[in-house]
Amino acid sequence: MDAHELQVISRCQRGDQEALKEIFNQYHHRVYRIAYGVVRQREEALDIVQEVFIKLFRSIGQFKGKSQFYTYLYRMAMNTAIDHSRKMKKVPPSTSDEEEGLQLSDVAERRPDRILDQKELEEKVKWATDQLSPDQKAALIYREVEGLSYEEIAKAMGCSIGTVMSRLHYGRKKVQELLKGYLEGGR
Amino acid sequence: MKRECSSVSKLLDKYFDHEVTEGEKSLIDGHLPDCPACRRTLQSMENLRTLIKRPVEEAAEKEVFPWVWEKIERGIRETEKPALWDFLRSWLNVTPLLRRKIWIPALAAAAILILMIAPLLYVKISSHPALSVVEYVESETHNVMVYELENQKVTVIWLFNGLEEGASTS
Repeated sequence: MDAHELQVISRCQRGDQEALKEIFNQYHHRVYRIAYGVVRQREEALDIVQEVFIKLFRSIGQFKGKSQFYTYLYRMAMNTAIDHSRKMKKVPPSTSDEEEGLQLSDVAERRPDRILDQKELEEKVKWATDQLSPDQKAALIYREVEGLSYEEIAKAMGCSIGTVMSRLHYGRKKVQELLKGYLEGGR
Repeated sequence: MKRECSSVSKLLDKYFDHEVTEGEKSLIDGHLPDCPACRRTLQSMENLRTLIKRPVEEAAEKEVFPWVWEKIERGIRETEKPALWDFLRSWLNVTPLLRRKIWIPALAAAAILILMIAPLLYVKISSHPALSVVEYVESETHNVMVYELENQKVTVIWLFNGLEEGASTS
């Protein structure tokens, strides 16, 4: 954490909304990506961003600077997103014979004859990731969306690197099984 | 060959995430050209990453955030003041002494002390006899003062005259 960031955090802890705006400008994309990665829905993700920064403003006094600020914010964003995700209705996606066998490569190549509607594919991905435990889901989003290292994920989740590896391995395995038809072959 | 595949497959997640050591990387790089199964596993991981990440990136690129900030500002203004407990907690976090939670046993001790002292004070105050009625009559020869002790149902009649004083009770 650099000196400027510490100063901004300190101002925010004293109730300075301009300082919160600086933090928002620096981190809102990352918070949005985490939120969208979990709920996979625009409006819901935007609500989460809003809620996270309001929560941050109220609770930033509890941040003691012992860890990196972004891990503190990531954890808050992930917990809020997972809470939203739990509340959202879990609807299993519809499956038709036509969709069977469609692959990611079809989507990537934009073949209109075989392309699976992007929205439906998104629903499938959401449904598959919703089958994971919150910890597996969090590890997967941190890694696949944010590209955090194992060490950074461990810090954000407050666990060991070994636990992160296990959550990632079993999380990937489960989603791969659920999305088998879309993952085989590749580009 | 099969044994090598078994040991390599355990490292594939780490390899895919660029978390392997140089030695592990060399081992896997040497193994992959001859192993279609491990290549398929890696390809599947890559496809999964694309499926998860690409829609997120596309959504983030399209989004305009200034109005989100306006909503946050409005949200902060509109939300109620922090709960009393939150206020107390933030206030109690001000000094390192209070942060160590010394105040919890201190408060408990103060409460116990008050509970112990309160009955004593009550007894002392209430043991003082109350004089509820006072009557005073003056005459040329004697003065009479009448007290009634409410609690003890006793009336005191005090008869006195200058230096001479007498009293009787009934």
